[in-house]
Amino acid sequence: MVDFDPAIINKVFENTDPVEVKPEMIARFCASLGESNPLFTDPEAAKKGPYGGIVAPPSFAVTFRNGRHFFDHIPRYGRRGFDAGKDVEFVAPIHPGDKISLSSHVKEIYEKTGRTGTMVFVVIRSTLKNQKDEVVAHIDHRFMNRP
Amino acid sequence: MKKFEELTIGDTLGPLDLIVTKEQCRNYAKISGFGEVAGRFTDEEAAKKEGLPGIILPGNMSLGLLSKLVTDWIGPANARLIRMGTTYRVPVQPDHRLVLNGFVTNTNPNDRTAEIDVWIENEEGERLVTGTATVEFPK
Repeated sequence: MVDFDPAIINKVFENTDPVEVKPEMIARFCASLGESNPLFTDPEAAKKGPYGGIVAPPSFAVTFRNGRHFFDHIPRYGRRGFDAGKDVEFVAPIHPGDKISLSSHVKEIYEKTGRTGTMVFVVIRSTLKNQKDEVVAHIDHRFMNRP
Repeated sequence: MKKFEELTIGDTLGPLDLIVTKEQCRNYAKISGFGEVAGRFTDEEAAKKEGLPGIILPGNMSLGLLSKLVTDWIGPANARLIRMGTTYRVPVQPDHRLVLNGFVTNTNPNDRTAEIDVWIENEEGERLVTGTATVEFPK
Protein backbone atom coordinates (compact mmCIF):
# COMPACT_ATOMS: atom_id res chain seq x y z
CA MET A 1 0.00 0.00 0.00
CA VAL A 2 1.12 3.53 -0.71
CA ASP A 3 3.21 5.13 2.02
CA PHE A 4 2.39 8.57 3.45
CA ASP A 5 2.27 10.46 6.72
CA PRO A 6 -1.37 10.33 7.88
CA ALA A 7 -0.87 13.73 9.55
CA ILE A 8 -1.12 15.45 6.14
CA ILE A 9 -4.73 14.37 5.66
CA ASN A 10 -7.21 17.18 6.40
CA LYS A 11 -4.48 19.67 7.24
CA VAL A 12 -5.21 22.97 5.47
CA PHE A 13 -2.07 24.02 3.57
CA GLU A 14 -3.46 26.89 1.59
CA ASN A 15 -5.60 29.95 2.24
CA THR A 16 -5.69 32.35 -0.70
CA ASP A 17 -6.34 36.08 -0.64
CA PRO A 18 -9.85 36.98 -1.84
CA VAL A 19 -10.31 37.64 -5.56
CA GLU A 20 -13.04 40.05 -6.57
CA VAL A 21 -15.33 38.76 -9.33
CA LYS A 22 -15.64 41.56 -11.89
CA PRO A 23 -18.52 41.46 -14.39
CA GLU A 24 -16.02 41.36 -17.28
CA MET A 25 -14.42 38.21 -15.81
CA ILE A 26 -17.79 36.47 -16.05
CA ALA A 27 -18.34 37.87 -19.57
CA ARG A 28 -14.91 36.64 -20.79
CA PHE A 29 -15.50 33.24 -19.23
CA CYS A 30 -18.90 32.97 -20.96
CA ALA A 31 -17.39 33.98 -24.32
CA SER A 32 -14.66 31.32 -24.13
CA LEU A 33 -17.28 28.59 -23.62
CA GLY A 34 -19.77 29.97 -26.17
CA GLU A 35 -22.23 30.57 -23.35
CA SER A 36 -25.53 32.16 -24.40
CA ASN A 37 -27.87 31.48 -21.46
CA PRO A 38 -29.36 34.90 -20.56
CA LEU A 39 -29.07 34.11 -16.81
CA PHE A 40 -25.29 34.36 -17.29
CA THR A 41 -24.97 36.85 -20.15
CA ASP A 42 -27.89 39.30 -20.28
CA PRO A 43 -28.25 41.68 -17.29
CA GLU A 44 -31.80 42.75 -18.26
CA ALA A 45 -33.16 39.24 -18.80
CA ALA A 46 -31.34 37.95 -15.70
CA LYS A 47 -33.18 40.49 -13.53
CA LYS A 48 -36.35 38.49 -14.06
CA GLY A 49 -34.55 35.20 -13.33
CA PRO A 50 -34.24 33.34 -10.02
CA TYR A 51 -31.19 35.35 -8.84
CA GLY A 52 -32.38 38.88 -9.66
CA GLY A 53 -29.33 39.55 -11.85
CA ILE A 54 -26.45 37.89 -13.63
CA VAL A 55 -24.64 35.07 -11.87
CA ALA A 56 -21.59 33.18 -13.08
CA PRO A 57 -22.15 29.81 -14.79
CA PRO A 58 -21.61 27.07 -12.17
CA SER A 59 -18.29 25.90 -13.63
CA PHE A 60 -16.81 29.39 -13.14
CA ALA A 61 -16.02 28.04 -9.64
CA VAL A 62 -13.15 25.95 -11.02
CA THR A 63 -11.30 28.95 -12.49
CA PHE A 64 -10.11 30.30 -9.13
CA ARG A 65 -6.45 29.60 -8.74
CA ASN A 66 -4.97 27.93 -5.79
CA GLY A 67 -1.88 29.70 -4.50
CA ARG A 68 1.45 29.62 -6.25
CA HIS A 69 2.70 26.85 -3.95
CA PHE A 70 -0.31 24.58 -4.40
CA PHE A 71 1.62 21.93 -6.31
CA ASP A 72 4.42 21.91 -3.71
CA HIS A 73 1.95 20.44 -1.25
CA ILE A 74 0.66 17.62 -3.38
CA PRO A 75 2.54 14.46 -2.49
CA ARG A 76 4.26 13.01 -5.58
CA TYR A 77 4.50 9.37 -6.36
CA GLY A 78 6.74 8.52 -9.25
CA ARG A 79 6.41 10.31 -12.58
CA ARG A 80 4.69 13.62 -13.06
CA GLY A 81 1.05 13.39 -12.09
CA PHE A 82 -1.86 14.55 -14.17
CA ASP A 83 -5.37 15.84 -13.64
CA ALA A 84 -7.56 12.73 -13.61
CA GLY A 85 -10.84 14.44 -12.83
CA LYS A 86 -12.89 16.70 -10.60
CA ASP A 87 -15.86 16.44 -8.33
CA VAL A 88 -17.52 19.77 -7.75
CA GLU A 89 -20.34 20.63 -5.40
CA PHE A 90 -21.95 23.92 -6.46
CA VAL A 91 -23.34 25.12 -3.12
CA ALA A 92 -24.40 28.68 -4.01
CA PRO A 93 -24.20 30.88 -7.12
CA ILE A 94 -21.27 33.30 -7.55
CA HIS A 95 -22.40 36.89 -8.16
CA PRO A 96 -20.48 39.79 -9.73
CA GLY A 97 -18.79 41.71 -6.91
CA ASP A 98 -18.29 38.62 -4.74
CA LYS A 99 -14.87 38.23 -3.17
CA ILE A 100 -13.86 34.59 -3.34
CA SER A 101 -11.14 32.91 -1.30
CA LEU A 102 -10.00 29.29 -1.27
CA SER A 103 -8.70 26.97 1.39
CA SER A 104 -7.27 23.59 0.45
CA HIS A 105 -6.31 20.35 2.14
CA VAL A 106 -5.39 16.78 1.18
CA LYS A 107 -8.64 14.84 1.42
CA GLU A 108 -7.42 11.33 0.65
CA ILE A 109 -4.67 9.25 -0.91
CA TYR A 110 -5.38 5.83 -2.37
CA GLU A 111 -3.99 3.23 -4.70
CA LYS A 112 -5.77 1.53 -7.56
CA THR A 113 -4.65 -1.22 -9.90
CA GLY A 114 -6.11 -1.18 -13.38
CA ARG A 115 -5.38 -2.48 -16.87
CA THR A 116 -2.32 -0.27 -17.15
CA GLY A 117 -0.83 -1.04 -13.73
CA THR A 118 -0.77 0.63 -10.34
CA MET A 119 -1.92 4.21 -9.94
CA VAL A 120 -1.81 6.44 -6.88
CA PHE A 121 -4.56 9.03 -6.55
CA VAL A 122 -4.20 12.15 -4.43
CA VAL A 123 -7.42 14.07 -3.82
CA ILE A 124 -7.11 17.74 -2.86
CA ARG A 125 -10.26 19.46 -1.63
CA SER A 126 -10.56 23.22 -2.13
CA THR A 127 -13.41 25.05 -0.44
CA LEU A 128 -14.50 28.38 -1.91
CA LYS A 129 -16.07 31.03 0.31
CA ASN A 130 -17.45 34.46 -0.45
CA GLN A 131 -17.04 37.72 1.49
CA LYS A 132 -19.87 36.72 3.84
CA ASP A 133 -17.95 33.59 4.80
CA GLU A 134 -20.56 31.46 3.00
CA VAL A 135 -19.35 28.35 1.21
CA VAL A 136 -20.05 28.64 -2.53
CA ALA A 137 -18.36 25.43 -3.72
CA HIS A 138 -16.29 22.40 -2.77
CA ILE A 139 -13.90 21.18 -5.45
CA ASP A 140 -12.17 17.81 -5.22
CA HIS A 141 -9.16 17.71 -7.56
CA ARG A 142 -8.13 14.15 -8.37
CA PHE A 143 -4.49 13.79 -9.38
CA MET A 144 -3.15 10.50 -10.74
CA ASN A 145 0.45 9.36 -10.39
CA ARG A 146 2.19 6.23 -11.62
CA PRO A 147 4.75 4.91 -9.16
CA MET B 1 -37.30 22.10 -19.73
CA LYS B 2 -39.66 19.60 -18.21
CA LYS B 3 -41.03 19.79 -14.69
CA PHE B 4 -39.55 17.34 -12.21
CA GLU B 5 -42.72 15.22 -12.35
CA GLU B 6 -42.44 14.91 -16.13
CA LEU B 7 -38.86 13.59 -16.16
CA THR B 8 -38.28 10.04 -17.35
CA ILE B 9 -35.18 7.92 -16.93
CA GLY B 10 -33.49 7.90 -20.32
CA ASP B 11 -34.45 11.51 -21.21
CA THR B 12 -31.59 12.84 -23.30
CA LEU B 13 -29.45 16.00 -23.19
CA GLY B 14 -27.89 16.87 -26.53
CA PRO B 15 -26.37 15.49 -28.64
CA LEU B 16 -24.54 18.75 -29.13
CA ASP B 17 -22.03 18.90 -31.96
CA LEU B 18 -19.24 21.42 -31.60
CA ILE B 19 -15.71 22.37 -32.47
CA VAL B 20 -13.67 24.29 -29.91
CA THR B 21 -11.24 26.57 -31.72
CA LYS B 22 -7.62 26.96 -30.61
CA GLU B 23 -8.42 30.59 -29.90
CA GLN B 24 -11.25 29.62 -27.50
CA CYS B 25 -8.96 27.09 -25.86
CA ARG B 26 -6.21 29.69 -25.33
CA ASN B 27 -8.73 32.22 -24.02
CA TYR B 28 -10.15 29.74 -21.55
CA ALA B 29 -6.64 28.79 -20.39
CA LYS B 30 -5.68 32.44 -19.90
CA ILE B 31 -8.81 33.25 -17.91
CA SER B 32 -8.11 30.30 -15.66
CA GLY B 33 -4.57 31.52 -15.12
CA PHE B 34 -3.02 28.54 -16.87
CA GLY B 35 -1.33 30.56 -19.61
CA GLU B 36 1.89 31.20 -17.77
CA VAL B 37 2.30 27.73 -16.26
CA ALA B 38 1.26 25.22 -18.89
CA GLY B 39 2.09 25.69 -22.56
CA ARG B 40 0.22 22.51 -23.46
CA PHE B 41 -3.02 24.54 -23.49
CA THR B 42 -1.70 27.50 -25.48
CA ASP B 43 1.40 26.62 -27.50
CA GLU B 44 1.61 23.91 -30.21
CA GLU B 45 5.36 23.41 -29.85
CA ALA B 46 5.27 23.15 -26.06
CA ALA B 47 2.42 20.61 -26.28
CA LYS B 48 4.31 18.48 -28.84
CA LYS B 49 7.40 18.50 -26.61
CA GLU B 50 5.23 16.85 -23.96
CA GLY B 51 4.34 14.10 -26.41
CA LEU B 52 0.86 15.46 -27.14
CA PRO B 53 -0.49 15.75 -30.71
CA GLY B 54 -0.83 19.53 -30.27
CA ILE B 55 -2.52 21.86 -27.78
CA ILE B 56 -5.26 20.28 -25.69
CA LEU B 57 -8.22 21.64 -23.75
CA PRO B 58 -7.72 22.18 -20.01
CA GLY B 59 -9.68 19.50 -18.11
CA ASN B 60 -11.65 22.31 -16.50
CA MET B 61 -12.76 23.49 -19.92
CA SER B 62 -14.28 20.06 -20.62
CA LEU B 63 -16.02 20.31 -17.26
CA GLY B 64 -17.26 23.76 -18.34
CA LEU B 65 -18.66 22.42 -21.63
CA LEU B 66 -20.45 19.57 -19.87
CA SER B 67 -21.83 21.97 -17.25
CA LYS B 68 -23.11 24.11 -20.11
CA LEU B 69 -24.80 21.06 -21.65
CA VAL B 70 -26.71 20.68 -18.36
CA THR B 71 -27.47 24.39 -17.81
CA ASP B 72 -28.66 24.67 -21.45
CA TRP B 73 -31.01 21.77 -20.73
CA ILE B 74 -32.26 23.61 -17.60
CA GLY B 75 -32.63 26.82 -19.65
CA PRO B 76 -34.43 29.66 -17.87
CA ALA B 77 -36.14 27.24 -15.45
CA ASN B 78 -35.61 27.58 -11.75
CA ALA B 79 -33.67 24.30 -11.39
CA ARG B 80 -29.99 24.26 -10.44
CA LEU B 81 -26.91 22.22 -11.28
CA ILE B 82 -25.66 21.32 -7.78
CA ARG B 83 -22.91 18.78 -8.50
CA MET B 84 -20.71 17.60 -11.32
CA GLY B 85 -17.99 14.96 -11.38
CA THR B 86 -15.70 14.36 -14.34
CA THR B 87 -13.07 11.83 -15.37
CA TYR B 88 -10.53 12.87 -17.99
CA ARG B 89 -9.81 9.72 -20.00
CA VAL B 90 -8.28 10.93 -23.26
CA PRO B 91 -6.92 14.44 -24.06
CA VAL B 92 -9.48 16.65 -25.86
CA GLN B 93 -8.15 18.56 -28.89
CA PRO B 94 -9.35 21.87 -30.31
CA ASP B 95 -10.31 22.04 -34.02
CA HIS B 96 -11.73 18.51 -33.82
CA ARG B 97 -15.41 17.64 -33.95
CA LEU B 98 -16.77 16.86 -30.46
CA VAL B 99 -20.17 15.50 -29.52
CA LEU B 100 -21.62 16.17 -26.06
CA ASN B 101 -24.23 13.76 -24.75
CA GLY B 102 -26.21 13.11 -21.63
CA PHE B 103 -29.19 11.25 -20.26
CA VAL B 104 -31.19 11.07 -17.06
CA THR B 105 -30.18 7.96 -15.10
CA ASN B 106 -32.27 8.41 -11.96
CA THR B 107 -34.77 10.71 -10.28
CA ASN B 108 -35.19 11.12 -6.55
CA PRO B 109 -38.62 12.48 -5.51
CA ASN B 110 -37.52 12.93 -1.85
CA ASP B 111 -35.06 15.71 -2.59
CA ARG B 112 -36.40 16.48 -6.10
CA THR B 113 -33.10 15.80 -7.81
CA ALA B 114 -32.19 14.15 -11.10
CA GLU B 115 -28.98 12.22 -11.73
CA ILE B 116 -27.50 12.60 -15.21
CA ASP B 117 -24.68 10.86 -17.07
CA VAL B 118 -22.73 13.14 -19.39
CA TRP B 119 -19.82 12.59 -21.76
CA ILE B 120 -17.77 14.08 -24.59
CA GLU B 121 -16.95 11.81 -27.50
CA ASN B 122 -14.92 12.26 -30.67
CA GLU B 123 -15.97 11.50 -34.23
CA GLU B 124 -15.06 7.84 -33.77
CA GLY B 125 -17.43 7.59 -30.80
CA GLU B 126 -14.57 7.28 -28.31
CA ARG B 127 -15.45 8.73 -24.90
CA LEU B 128 -12.82 11.33 -24.04
CA VAL B 129 -14.41 12.72 -20.87
CA THR B 130 -17.14 11.10 -18.81
CA GLY B 131 -19.07 12.55 -15.92
CA THR B 132 -22.16 12.66 -13.75
CA ALA B 133 -24.30 15.62 -12.73
CA THR B 134 -27.02 16.29 -10.19
CA VAL B 135 -29.78 18.82 -10.87
CA GLU B 136 -32.06 20.06 -8.11
CA PHE B 137 -35.60 21.12 -9.00
CA PRO B 138 -37.66 23.72 -7.11
CA LYS B 139 -39.48 22.29 -4.12
